[in-house]
Amino acid sequence: MQKSTIQFLLINCFLAIVLVSCGSVTKNYTPKKLDKTSYEVPYFSDSKTDYVYKTNITVYGNEISGIFIAKKINDTVHRIVFTTEFGNKLLDFEISDNSFKVNSIVSELDRKILINTLKEDFRLLLKKEYLIQEQFENESDDIYKSKDGKRDNYLFISKKDHRLEKVVHSSQTKEKFTLTFTSENNIFAEKIQIIHQNIKLKIELNYFKSE
Amino acid sequence: MKTKIALLILFISGNLFAQEQKMTAAEIASFKEDVNVVSKKIKTLSTDFVQYKHLDFLSKDIETSGKMIFKEPGLLQWQYKKPYNYSIVFKNGKILINDEGKKSAVDIGNSKIFGRINKLIVGSVSGNMFDDKEFTISYFKLKGQNLAKFVPKDATLKKYIKQIELTFDKEEATVVQVKLLESSEDYTRIVLKNKVINAKIDDSVFTN
Repeated sequence: MQKSTIQFLLINCFLAIVLVSCGSVTKNYTPKKLDKTSYEVPYFSDSKTDYVYKTNITVYGNEISGIFIAKKINDTVHRIVFTTEFGNKLLDFEISDNSFKVNSIVSELDRKILINTLKEDFRLLLKKEYLIQEQFENESDDIYKSKDGKRDNYLFISKKDHRLEKVVHSSQTKEKFTLTFTSENNIFAEKIQIIHQNIKLKIELNYFKSE
Repeated sequence: MKTKIALLILFISGNLFAQEQKMTAAEIASFKEDVNVVSKKIKTLSTDFVQYKHLDFLSKDIETSGKMIFKEPGLLQWQYKKPYNYSIVFKNGKILINDEGKKSAVDIGNSKIFGRINKLIVGSVSGNMFDDKEFTISYFKLKGQNLAKFVPKDATLKKYIKQIELTFDKEEATVVQVKLLESSEDYTRIVLKNKVINAKIDDSVFTN
């Protein structure tokens, strides 16, 4: 009798741990009634704007710097170019929610795993509209959950000024990577960080206006 | 007949005012001589520059600017001041980078491509690239200027640079513009101005 009680407790404990870790992404947030079914991101949405950023990429301790350029070239597609400070083109992509094309890439960066990682990062960075299924909140933000295939995106909108501050891309159990935005005017973001949780990759973008 | 003459005149004058006109063999020889005389005298050189990155799909060129300093035989600093601070020094087979205060160094002792880039930059700015066997060179005249176009022969280099165009001031025989073409639509254009030749430049300038 005693033995089975201990077993029962152990199983319960184990289950509890599994359940807690399963819900880790939203465990600190309070569920809330949906107040919208979609959210539009302004930061890369204007087809007249050249979005130009000084960029630092840290990958497993190595630093690469250069210039990140994004431009909306039609309703759905963005063109993305990354150059050195001297202007040499390192990569040139065209990307939308459901299409991807490599126009050019230097041989040093031409690795499938790198291209796929950047594709995922940039697709989320440039994503214009999220459909929302669930809503949560914490002290500072409203948090919207948006399905993304087998994964989810969590959008953090500040309660104070209603700006998108963070997107967390996660699987059912853990966070994969996070985008953070700093925006003064809610039209474009001056500072963006893309931070990966499972690989040592960090991309930092700082907006600049050429003279 | 009259129409024919008019057309002929139009054709000739059109040609005269056309942007680029091929140099004759004699003109090429004298132009090369002028540039070589001047570039041989260069011991130090400093110049302001404005860089225009042209990508066909952008509505405006991306403009950055700063200062370039060169000292014989192989010290080179390329310093962006606007709109961000980024400085790169080529020194004793090393590249020293200062990116908004964040410093790093790359050993290029063995990197062939960086060695080539270094040689290219120094050659471009001083104008002394005519003996380079890695390029097919063609020569043109412009109004008050001369133009030399360099096409890389090597396939690896060609992947990065389709063509380099150096524009020279006719009187001074020094480079006023460097244009690096990546493709027919995309290029980097660097305009050099306020050039100072052979001013005293201390080696300590080339630290980052």
